[in-house]
Amino acid sequence: MSGGSARSLAKGSEPPGPVPEGVIRVYSMRFCPFAERTRLVLEAKRIRHEVININLKNKPEWFFKKNPFGLVPVLENSQGQLVYESAITCEYLDEAYPGRKLLPDDPYEKARQKMIFELFSKVPSLLTSFIRRQNKKDCSDLKEEFCKEFSKLEEVLNTKKTSFFGGSSPSMVDYLMWPWFERLEVLELNDYVDHTPKLKLWMAAMKKDPTVSALLIDAKTFNGFLDLYLQNSPEACDYGL
Amino acid sequence: MSGDDTRTLGKGSCPPGPVPEGMIRIYSMRFCPYSHRTRLVLKAKGIRHEVININLRNKPDWYYTKHPLGQIPVLENSQCQLIYESAVACEYLDDAYPGRKLFPHDPYERARQKMLLELFCKVPPLTKECLVALRCGRNCADLKAALRQEFCNLEEIGMWFLFHRTLRRLILDYQNSAFFGGDCISMIDYLLWPWFERLDVYGIADCVNHTPALRIWMAAMKRDPTVCSLFVDKNIFLGFLNLYFQNHPNAFDFGLHC
Repeated sequence: MSGGSARSLAKGSEPPGPVPEGVIRVYSMRFCPFAERTRLVLEAKRIRHEVININLKNKPEWFFKKNPFGLVPVLENSQGQLVYESAITCEYLDEAYPGRKLLPDDPYEKARQKMIFELFSKVPSLLTSFIRRQNKKDCSDLKEEFCKEFSKLEEVLNTKKTSFFGGSSPSMVDYLMWPWFERLEVLELNDYVDHTPKLKLWMAAMKKDPTVSALLIDAKTFNGFLDLYLQNSPEACDYGL
Repeated sequence: MSGDDTRTLGKGSCPPGPVPEGMIRIYSMRFCPYSHRTRLVLKAKGIRHEVININLRNKPDWYYTKHPLGQIPVLENSQCQLIYESAVACEYLDDAYPGRKLFPHDPYERARQKMLLELFCKVPPLTKECLVALRCGRNCADLKAALRQEFCNLEEIGMWFLFHRTLRRLILDYQNSAFFGGDCISMIDYLLWPWFERLDVYGIADCVNHTPALRIWMAAMKRDPTVCSLFVDKNIFLGFLNLYFQNHPNAFDFGLHC
């Protein structure tokens, strides 16, 4: 159904046709954490969807008509409507599709999730800095910055006294943050959450969530991708296929 | 009613009491663009509220219990719930209060407004950098060029959403389809407005010289009753800026009588 293992489309490829009725399309890349947010929501809400993977190192020209910024994820529905920016795609899906609601109905609780999400905002760029660092042995400065950001999240869990950031089961903000914590494990940085025990427990609990397990990345495949990606190889995005 | 024009509270002040039932409180500052967003929404929706202005250069210790970093705006309701991040506060008000909805109901139209807000995100820091550079006598040609580019993107992509939806209508009614959400003013317009109101007083009004659709939008916004009711007099704003850049402790209360 999801087609998440399809080869990516690159420069010179034909633009895909319109999206069939009853399906929503996500332009994605198998290892992109931002696109993973959207795929987690699609999975959690069991939304019928198709995946078109984009070669981010050799983008098709037609892709800029889907998103002028040329970034994934992008949603396209059968009316030709396009939605981009990962957090916006996630909220759109929650509002447009019935079934399990990932954002609370209560206006304050919804705002609370967004304030928590804001606390997380520095983490993606920190992970990018780590990945791009040549000498991975000397990352004590980065580790310190990570720990500072993680303490903010730990404090939320301490105050709320729940296993997940929205309550007793995973909700929107958990899925929005998860892809980066998933990559901490795969990059063997588990010690970064040593000083934040509740966050560590949260990671373990997330891994047991059916939605998360369905999309969990294999460490070897991810590292294979990363090596090629850092060398700007056009083969990176399809590694493992 | 709104009490926008009250003296700021600074270090050593007593913490305010709880918020009375039927009211919501906003911690604000009369010249802050982020607070301005939230005050526009409070006004547009006719929400009963009280304003507590904070001296941003001499923050009360108690204020850090409202926001961990002491930022504004913060909303506080009578259940002691605190909401911050200006866009989050605006959305909260739209969700929590009845009456006129500022965000569209349709999920795609809502997403579109949020995408536009994201497109706008470099404008606030750039306008601030221009202001600081000009006030410190530095050349800001590069900054202004960057700002102009952001405005071009906003005009092109922002207006493109309108074109895409109502192309024929647009050709006929170019003057009327002036708002980012369609024919009527809505949330996205209020979220963007504070920085455009400040272009003139910051000395960078020429940055919209190449974006005619934005100028039409600005003119339409200036006719909106909510925008007008909160519009700050240019001389008062300039007086504030002068004192602010001289590090005067009473800058934030400039223009108040009492």
